[in-house]
Amino acid sequence: MIKVGIPRALLYYQYYPAWKAFFEALGAEVCVSPPTTQNMLVSGSSRVVADTCLPVKVFIGHVISLVGKCDYTFIPAIRSLKSKTYNCSKFLGLPDMTRAVVPESPHILEIEIDINRGKRQLYQSIYKLGRHFTWNPLQVRQAATAAWQAYLDYQEMMSRQGLTPPQAIERISGTPDTMPESHSSPATPPRATIGLIGHPYLLYDEHINYQLVRRLEQADNRVLTPEMLATPQLEATIARLVGRSYWTYEEEVVGAGGYYLQNKADGIIGVMAFGCGPDSLMMDMVHRQANRQKTTPFMCLTLEEHTSEAGVITRLEAFIDMIYRKKRRQVEVCV
Amino acid sequence: MRVGMPHMGNLYIPFKALFQRLKVDFVIPPVSNQRTLSLGARYSPEGLCIPFKMTLGNLIEAAEMGANTLLMPGGDGICRLGYYTKVQEQILHELGYNVEIIQLGVSEHKFAGLLGIIKRVSNNAPWPRIISAFRFGLAKLNSLDTIERLVQKVRPVELVKGTANQLYAQAVRAIDKAEDYNLLKKVKKDYVSQLNRVTRNSQARPLVVGITGELFVLLEPFSSFDVERELGKMGVEVRRSTFLSEWTKFSLFLNPLGINEKDRIHKAALPYLKRDIGGDGWESVGEKVLHAGEYDGLVHLAPFTCMPEIIAQNIMPSTREKIPVLTILCDEQIAKPGILTRLEAFVDLLQRKRRAEENNNQRVAI
Repeated sequence: MIKVGIPRALLYYQYYPAWKAFFEALGAEVCVSPPTTQNMLVSGSSRVVADTCLPVKVFIGHVISLVGKCDYTFIPAIRSLKSKTYNCSKFLGLPDMTRAVVPESPHILEIEIDINRGKRQLYQSIYKLGRHFTWNPLQVRQAATAAWQAYLDYQEMMSRQGLTPPQAIERISGTPDTMPESHSSPATPPRATIGLIGHPYLLYDEHINYQLVRRLEQADNRVLTPEMLATPQLEATIARLVGRSYWTYEEEVVGAGGYYLQNKADGIIGVMAFGCGPDSLMMDMVHRQANRQKTTPFMCLTLEEHTSEAGVITRLEAFIDMIYRKKRRQVEVCV
Repeated sequence: MRVGMPHMGNLYIPFKALFQRLKVDFVIPPVSNQRTLSLGARYSPEGLCIPFKMTLGNLIEAAEMGANTLLMPGGDGICRLGYYTKVQEQILHELGYNVEIIQLGVSEHKFAGLLGIIKRVSNNAPWPRIISAFRFGLAKLNSLDTIERLVQKVRPVELVKGTANQLYAQAVRAIDKAEDYNLLKKVKKDYVSQLNRVTRNSQARPLVVGITGELFVLLEPFSSFDVERELGKMGVEVRRSTFLSEWTKFSLFLNPLGINEKDRIHKAALPYLKRDIGGDGWESVGEKVLHAGEYDGLVHLAPFTCMPEIIAQNIMPSTREKIPVLTILCDEQIAKPGILTRLEAFVDLLQRKRRAEENNNQRVAI
């Protein structure tokens, strides 16, 4: 059986169930790299130039870890998912860049997804991808439909049950994941509601964000993530804040950030990677909005491979303490 | 309405000509300098690239001079550039300037869009006047680039160092002052012949180094400490494929007709990079492949944290076509001695390489 390797990084968190359904419908076996480790990060960093961003370094590390374990590595190049949006160059150049820096990698399966170029182009690129497994266009079509269905189920699972992507993926595939069950036990009301904004590959990679979600939940806070919000809400927020969206993944940052600012999260933590092009502007957009409103505290955590655990914890604790104090004072004033 | 716009090399000269003819109230902020960069860096989000910081500095300085309508290049599908105006406008408003930023979206609106914006800022001037003013601006741009190309050739081989630079500075001033086509033509001819008459060192065989990378740092000398001039001083002939006149000619007039000057470069890059990744990343890879046999080396200029150029930089070492590449990342932290040291080392390396090749050839001949 043909084995397709999928690196557990970058867009994995958004589309893994769809990819899995697609390749399995074509008779291939899917092989996911293990959760990020320090070794992966180091091996990834050693291949690319220094100012490449942390998530891409992690991604390269995952690709290296898949060498010898599969026949193909699947790396999509996603340009746009809505008309007139645009994605970071690093996503567009990902297959070519991986080929350049990991020459020993198995053959790279790539697909370019660009809605701007029309549906025909999209279907053609899906067929082209399917060709690696079958000559039968009908089978590719069925696989694509299965993938779409799997994606919709995945999305619904997350927004309806309030699951994070790793939890939802765990339910779907039945493989143990590193993410614990969320602390949403109704017995104790949460001490504070923290809205997280940022891309899933930063929020759910426990190695690079030092278990941010878990830490917040263990301190009895309720954590909101962008996946828990519905797309129309996010789009409306973007329209209000910046007009037409420019980036493909703008919802995860500006959309969610603007939404939490209006809907009374007690605090917002923005997570971004150092040197991230889109986030350098989008986080700033949210930051400025928060500054103008002066109601919800906002903190931006910038991650890179020199970030230390102690630094993250200190900032996190200080931020949460500030929110608790603010809430206590509000209660006292009310009394 | 008082119009201002950021600097990019000599771009202000054609725009000044254009707006003067249309009688638009136009301010030119001071040519990019340390204050511009400091202002820009102070008010920008920290992770942004130098084009954002420099243009923000320019816009602030223009606003200080009373400009209330700022023209800022932008557009879809380029890179962060498309998002610049949204943030820059907020920053300017927070600083208390009541300004409106108009985005010059060249990539999507093409020529007609640009003319539309000019019509708007010129208070609805009649079309014939706009077209003629625009042509005059283009003529100035072309003259500037003709002179610059010649200067690049003369700089490395002149006997008295600095002559070409001096002539270039004079030429830029003269072109800026020229008020009509006749004068412009005369000025251009005059300086071309002066540059051709500069005494050259007939024995010099300058190294040829290509310059490629991101458009803004290529064309704005302040952002890269004028790498071209420094290389010229070291006796290196610089070849740059990006000139504003070419760029305007193609992106405004010929690209809509389906003629793309970059097809050749893109084709060269194809085995290593299959698609446009925004900015100038595709071109950087292509130029390396294309000029590998032709040039002695390549200087790759990029702003720090530039997304497309990082991809290009990652891909470049793996091409089969080999040529030494020096990548220089520009941001507000770079210092001249650092750049000079690296350039000198690079030129030394190229010279040594050339000597070694010549020795080898001699041995083969014997």
